[in-house]
Amino acid sequence: MRFSFTKEQDEFRQEIRDFLKAELEAGVFCAHSASLVGPPSREFSLKMAERGWIGLTWPEQYGGQGRSYVEKMILNEELFRVQAPIGYHFLADRQVGPALMSFGADWQREYFLPSIVRADEGMMFCLLFSEPNAGSDLAAVSTKALKDGDYYVINGQKVWTTGGHLADYGWVLAKTNFDSAVPRHLACSEFIVDMKSPGVTVRPITNVVGEQDFNEVFFDDVKIHTRYLVGQENAGFKQIMAQVDYERAGIERLMQNYLIYERLIGYVKDMDEDSKKGEFYSRVRDSIAQLEIEYNIGRLLCYYTAWVIDQGKKPTSQAALTKAFCTQYEQRLNDLATRVLGPISQIKRGVKWSPFEGELADSYLWGPSYTLQGGSVEILKNIVALRGLGLPRK
Amino acid sequence: MDFSMDEETILLRNSAEQYLRENCPTSFVKEVVKEEAGFSRTMWKDMADLGWLGLIYDERYGGVGGRFFDLFILFEEIGKVLLPSPFFCSAILSGLIIDEAGDLRQKDEYLPPIIKGEKIFTIGLHDEQGRYDFNNPDLEARETKDGDYILKGTRILVPYAQVADAILVVVQVKDSDAGGPTIFKVDTRADGHKVVPLDVFTEEKTFTVVYEDVEVSSGDVIGGVGEGDAYLNKIFPKATILKCGEMLGGLERVFGMTLAYVKERHQFGQPLGSLQVVQHYCADMATFLETTRLITYQAASLLSEGLPCAKEVSMAKAWCSDAYKKCTWIGHQLHGGIGFTEEYDLHLYYKHAKASELSFEDSWFHRSKVAEEMGL
Repeated sequence: MRFSFTKEQDEFRQEIRDFLKAELEAGVFCAHSASLVGPPSREFSLKMAERGWIGLTWPEQYGGQGRSYVEKMILNEELFRVQAPIGYHFLADRQVGPALMSFGADWQREYFLPSIVRADEGMMFCLLFSEPNAGSDLAAVSTKALKDGDYYVINGQKVWTTGGHLADYGWVLAKTNFDSAVPRHLACSEFIVDMKSPGVTVRPITNVVGEQDFNEVFFDDVKIHTRYLVGQENAGFKQIMAQVDYERAGIERLMQNYLIYERLIGYVKDMDEDSKKGEFYSRVRDSIAQLEIEYNIGRLLCYYTAWVIDQGKKPTSQAALTKAFCTQYEQRLNDLATRVLGPISQIKRGVKWSPFEGELADSYLWGPSYTLQGGSVEILKNIVALRGLGLPRK
Repeated sequence: MDFSMDEETILLRNSAEQYLRENCPTSFVKEVVKEEAGFSRTMWKDMADLGWLGLIYDERYGGVGGRFFDLFILFEEIGKVLLPSPFFCSAILSGLIIDEAGDLRQKDEYLPPIIKGEKIFTIGLHDEQGRYDFNNPDLEARETKDGDYILKGTRILVPYAQVADAILVVVQVKDSDAGGPTIFKVDTRADGHKVVPLDVFTEEKTFTVVYEDVEVSSGDVIGGVGEGDAYLNKIFPKATILKCGEMLGGLERVFGMTLAYVKERHQFGQPLGSLQVVQHYCADMATFLETTRLITYQAASLLSEGLPCAKEVSMAKAWCSDAYKKCTWIGHQLHGGIGFTEEYDLHLYYKHAKASELSFEDSWFHRSKVAEEMGL
């Protein structure tokens, strides 16, 4: 058992840090907190592609580097430390690629994977899973994909589609078996849909923060060729459950507010000596130490999950547990930071009084989303209980 | 980062697990504490023969020269079954102090019998308020004109003092300019040395030790006069993390017992474990277990490699203390009435969780250490 990194891993981390430092100093991006990934920048993704940092764990035949998930965790940890703008390739890298490698047809792998790795134009993906009536109960999707010769015709509505207004391709879960005797989770399939297809309408939804980050997406007789079916027809639910393991396994769920955390610690360190004598300071000190412990544990959970994947094991319950733990840390962080900073925390960006340039107000507003997206804490606990602990179903 | 356990550690863990499963069921734990010694001499000999007592000590003292991490794993196993024995106070606390602070003669004389289990040492750290305050005049050491010492006063919460051959006592020497406290080795047969049972709620035999002008020769000072704090600070991280190992084992067992119970117990015509509210409690316990394991393994591994880890040790003890205790609360909640009976085993862990939380300081203290390490 070793809790330190190898020399090669330390060097890799340093290489990433040096690159990011130079990018930050050159003003290529500025570090923002709170949303899952910063605004997409294909230029930035291209620079990462040049370094082989997209598809890091993928096999070389698809343009990847065949490196370990632990190394990918190092990469992501450094990227999220400064909130690098990785939105262009992030979802494709995190879960579209692994899903294609597990279930995709040969042509799909050969076409999409190297292209994602190169951050080619037109390769931004969004995920179209949730629907107005299928949230936590994902098997309840009612978007239909009706087979018509060599084509499927898709009709229905998706919601909470992050980046849907920018994406080139959508990864869609839709119903393909309409026999009511067939169990719901054996009745859907996965498709790749060109978001510019006729009949696709994307409507941005303004979230609590006031940003347009997610969307509702409508499909009206959207016709796609059968070759865009991913994996087996009607096996979509099972495939998606394997895919979301990767969605949940990441350190992004711990570090979306890393900058807030750094600044909070800095703020408390800089408090004047008189206030450090008071009761307030000792409470703050205790609470920050608790957060620090939770942060460190969250980080260990993430690395452990990566290691589990590297051992060739399915991380289902492990990833669910990790995400549930980490997102709760993020909410506690935002709560504590606003209490330490006091009433000015609610002042939004753009005025001189807003703490951390308004980041704090925003991050508190983002709070509720953390424990919902990618599976609510309750759904994740169900997974731990049923799949991890083998507790009986009702 | 490599979370795999090496062969040697796995072998030790498996053999310890098997030995303890066969020899230390909870029925045995409950019986043996009723006896005067409070532990089994037969098992004590086995523990010495298996090399447990000398696991991390040098071969020249009869030790195994093994790794600290393996000792930690052994304590995890001990925590699962709550083996009552003077292992921790004798071979760990006293042994580490002697190994760290003792001179050559003291090491040669005391370590081999401790490792062989032939002599039992224990340690008196708590003043009458139960704190680690070595300046408290509850107990005083006076230097005589011959350069020897006279101890007068009380130490409480001393484990296994009734069977101990010697007790290490940490105390300030009166009117000394040495600064900190000094560690004395006091023979329990010395005149004026009195041991009184102390009724505590754990399964560990515990005593009050009263010193009525007990003479201690200058040759029984362990380490430098006034340097006791420095030695203790050196060995406390190791002792703390072994305690965490024990707690992790206990937590694991509480979780296992509870999980088995909710699968088997039926209410409303179904297993309790099929109810979502119960499932979520179980998922919380699984999370406590997983997180406690990672944070304590980290500290144990760093200590084993001799790397700096003051912060990691405090993070582990803070988290471990809260997590274990909370798991015993959840365990009791899910077991209902049966868990509150003496016959059932859960209370052993409920008590152990509290006692070990309070041992080597709780999460308030250790969070404060973490904050200090963060520069706050």
